[in-house]
Amino acid sequence: MSDKLKQVINKQRKHEEDSSKHSEDIVQLVGFVIGDEEYAVPILAIQEIIKPFPWTRVPQVPKYVVGVFNMRGAVIPLIDLRLKFGLSPKKHNEETRFIVMRHGDDIAGFVIDRLTMAIRINKSKIGPAPETANGDDTAIDGVGKQEDRIITILNF
Amino acid sequence: MDEFQEILQDFLVESFELIEQLDQDLVELETRPDDLELLNRIFRVAHTVKGASSFLNFDVLTHLTHHMEDVLNRARHGELVISPDIMDVILESIDLMKSLLHIIRDTSEDGGVDVSACVARLDKCVGGSGVVETPIAQAAPKVEVKEVVEKAPDVDALDYENMDADELEAEIERLLKQRQAEDKAKRESRKGEGENDTSSDSDNYFEEEDEFEPVIKVPMTVTPASKPAPTGSNSDDSEDARAAAPAKKAQTVEQTIRVDVKRLDHLMNLIGELVLAKNRLIKINVDVEERYEGEGFLEELNQVVSIVSLVTTDLQIAVMKTRMLPIGKVFNKFPRMIRDLSRELNKKIELEIYGEDTELDKSIVEEIGDPLVHIIRNSCDHGIEIPKIRAEQGKNETGTIKLKAYNEGNQIVIQIDDDGKGLDVEMLKRKSLEKGLITQKESENMSDKEAFTLIFKPGFSTAATVTNVSGRGVGMDVVKTNIEKVNGIIDIDSEIGVGTSMKLKIPLTLAIIQALLVGVQEEHYAIPLASVLETVRISKDEVYTVEGRSVMRLREDVLPLVHIGDIFEVERILDSSEYAYVVVLGLGTSKLGLIVDTLVGQEEIVIKSLGEFLKGIEGIAGATIRGDGGVTLIVDVIAIMDMSKRVKASALKDTTSDAAMLTREKTKPSDYAVMIVDDSKTDRTIMRKALEPLGVTLVEAGDGQEALSILKQGDYNFDAMLVDIEMPRMDGYSLAIEIKKYNRYKNLPLIAVTSRTGKSDRMRGVESGMVEYITKPYSADYLSSVVQRNINFRSEFLR
Repeated sequence: MSDKLKQVINKQRKHEEDSSKHSEDIVQLVGFVIGDEEYAVPILAIQEIIKPFPWTRVPQVPKYVVGVFNMRGAVIPLIDLRLKFGLSPKKHNEETRFIVMRHGDDIAGFVIDRLTMAIRINKSKIGPAPETANGDDTAIDGVGKQEDRIITILNF
Repeated sequence: MDEFQEILQDFLVESFELIEQLDQDLVELETRPDDLELLNRIFRVAHTVKGASSFLNFDVLTHLTHHMEDVLNRARHGELVISPDIMDVILESIDLMKSLLHIIRDTSEDGGVDVSACVARLDKCVGGSGVVETPIAQAAPKVEVKEVVEKAPDVDALDYENMDADELEAEIERLLKQRQAEDKAKRESRKGEGENDTSSDSDNYFEEEDEFEPVIKVPMTVTPASKPAPTGSNSDDSEDARAAAPAKKAQTVEQTIRVDVKRLDHLMNLIGELVLAKNRLIKINVDVEERYEGEGFLEELNQVVSIVSLVTTDLQIAVMKTRMLPIGKVFNKFPRMIRDLSRELNKKIELEIYGEDTELDKSIVEEIGDPLVHIIRNSCDHGIEIPKIRAEQGKNETGTIKLKAYNEGNQIVIQIDDDGKGLDVEMLKRKSLEKGLITQKESENMSDKEAFTLIFKPGFSTAATVTNVSGRGVGMDVVKTNIEKVNGIIDIDSEIGVGTSMKLKIPLTLAIIQALLVGVQEEHYAIPLASVLETVRISKDEVYTVEGRSVMRLREDVLPLVHIGDIFEVERILDSSEYAYVVVLGLGTSKLGLIVDTLVGQEEIVIKSLGEFLKGIEGIAGATIRGDGGVTLIVDVIAIMDMSKRVKASALKDTTSDAAMLTREKTKPSDYAVMIVDDSKTDRTIMRKALEPLGVTLVEAGDGQEALSILKQGDYNFDAMLVDIEMPRMDGYSLAIEIKKYNRYKNLPLIAVTSRTGKSDRMRGVESGMVEYITKPYSADYLSSVVQRNINFRSEFLR
């Protein structure tokens, strides 16, 4: 019992040391799933995450712009990332969320399939986006490797 | 340094304000050069700017203003008569002063502008003769100027240097007396002249323009040739004006406070939010009234809601007023402009301004400045003829441009009239044809009014020769764009040989507008009420097709029609009814009928931008937030007019293809889907137990709303619905009525399952479209057989 306790304490201490040592190198991300892939965005870019909400369709826009919605008096465009990434549309369900992100003065809401978790990842573990995705309008900022997972980090 | 900056800011604000007034005063001065009050005012401006700039060490500016001051000082002492040529020099120096001030504002330093030439000319004016020769091409070098400065006899100043206090006092007194005596003498002599003067232009105008209250009159005669000391022809008027001006000044001194525009904008935004909240409150109040009819607290709630809405409206008006500026701010620069133009073009032009106290939102005032400049320039250049031609046509040699502003309902109208040659319709059409702006066919079908609007086409210019005033083919289309930017419209009227009249109709404010809300299928759109002429209800057979376009007859006219759903790519899910509504949109001379499914009502809406990401969507001017918290898009009427020419006419066509989806072949029992709608879990379970043996797919909903949203999602193709009548949120009858609105579900069998047994209940059930009426309690077998019958359950599936 005491051994176990010690182990836990040690582990915690080690964890703390780790994080304090590299605190400036750690990026905090919020992970989510679209289709079968896991993506993440920097936590600081997120204004809020809300449950689906009625929105208004806007004509003559690309398909992935599903419309605009009212968030406390501001009119915010809503973008479906499934459609943006070329996946088929899907009905919103219990797990669907809107992630509202701010970049400077621009605010937009993004529809995602499901949230996973908040991720702390060392900067050194983030590699550049694959060559093939290095187009001009790619949203991929980098690829994070964590244990056995690969997370695509997006930048809006 | 900070303190310096602060002083500098104050200096700049003050100077720009002074200069604005100065321009107008100077032009006025030319007509009444002996108006001491006016002269003093102008002198004080030069003096103030000089004083402040010397304190702030702006040497160039000080140097310039000092010489202006000299000239003006002499003029007000009667030693110098302001001739048009001297006026040119003074105006030039004012322009220099302005550009210097701009430089100071941008760089905090003066310089970069060569003032020496102008100073030299100013100096020559003071030099005595009052006639200025054209200066030598190369600017006089600075040293030389200084010399001239010293030579310039500034007698008064030199003397005072050596006086002691008493002597100075005595001198001042002497000068004052002398001046008063001079004034008196002048005034008397003028009076004498005034009595002799019989043809006073200004009096006539007062009689002619009775309907407009001439708040300020700036009559002026500008002759191209340098004219000697002005005659007494204007003195009557100047006498009047002078007597009135000081009195008016005294009355209108109001306490003011300078407020940063940003703060006002913020306040306006907050009010906008408040208006939205008010709309929501009103909607909630209506909902609450419906649900709790007759309850005591309702009246109290009603009162509070009406007070809130009243105060909000008042507050909105009050804040709007704080943002209002008199349009005079824009008008003020025109007398000077007309003066310069008339000299440049060798024409005689008189500008009359009416209603310059009319107020407009600040943002709009800023937007309309340029368009007005263009229009007035155009009137001077193309409208007013040269004096010789005017005389030949029996017109007064002096052309008149009238600038009027007045309120008309929720709009402000700015009217620019000239008595020039007018617009020649045939010439306009020919020109447009030559330039390929219109086709032969278009030109033939064009009414005169439509032809006038040709001048707003990009690339159109009617001037035979290109002058540097106008006629480069840019301009009038910019006018149109700018006016449309503030949701305004332009109306032109013209008669050959008589003149042209342009009316700019502009909404009072940009942020909050009245809108007509219309519905198409399940979507709502807001149309600015200012563009709505009328709404009419038509039946489908009133729509004709001409050359692939829908049209209808509206009284005497043929009105082109377009369905709002075609413009905004709305999916037709709901069944369109026998009747449709046509919103007649008017923009200047063009009209368009917009077909909508429903008219929702009129509402005050706050315009919000769609943001950077979605800006520039054709046909959408912005968005607003409605009482229910949803977003409604605002229609851009101008864009719609354009778009209507391109969209295919599918107006009022029936779409029945959806119905086909219902009759898909069933291969197994679970292909059949039945929805159970009941608020009681027990009842739902009973029905489920009764139907489960059939093996059909069963979906449950707790009330009408939920049922409707399941239907809308379209995950299942339902073959029948079992509907309870008594349910919260939406009862069975309303649900049935809602469902029947959808094309797809028109033939969906609805089976009422209820404990209500009254005959009237049954009748209501039939009316709302229920096909069967099962009363509780019922046997499982009975329910099952009714369902089987209605979904055409194939007997081979029965186990």
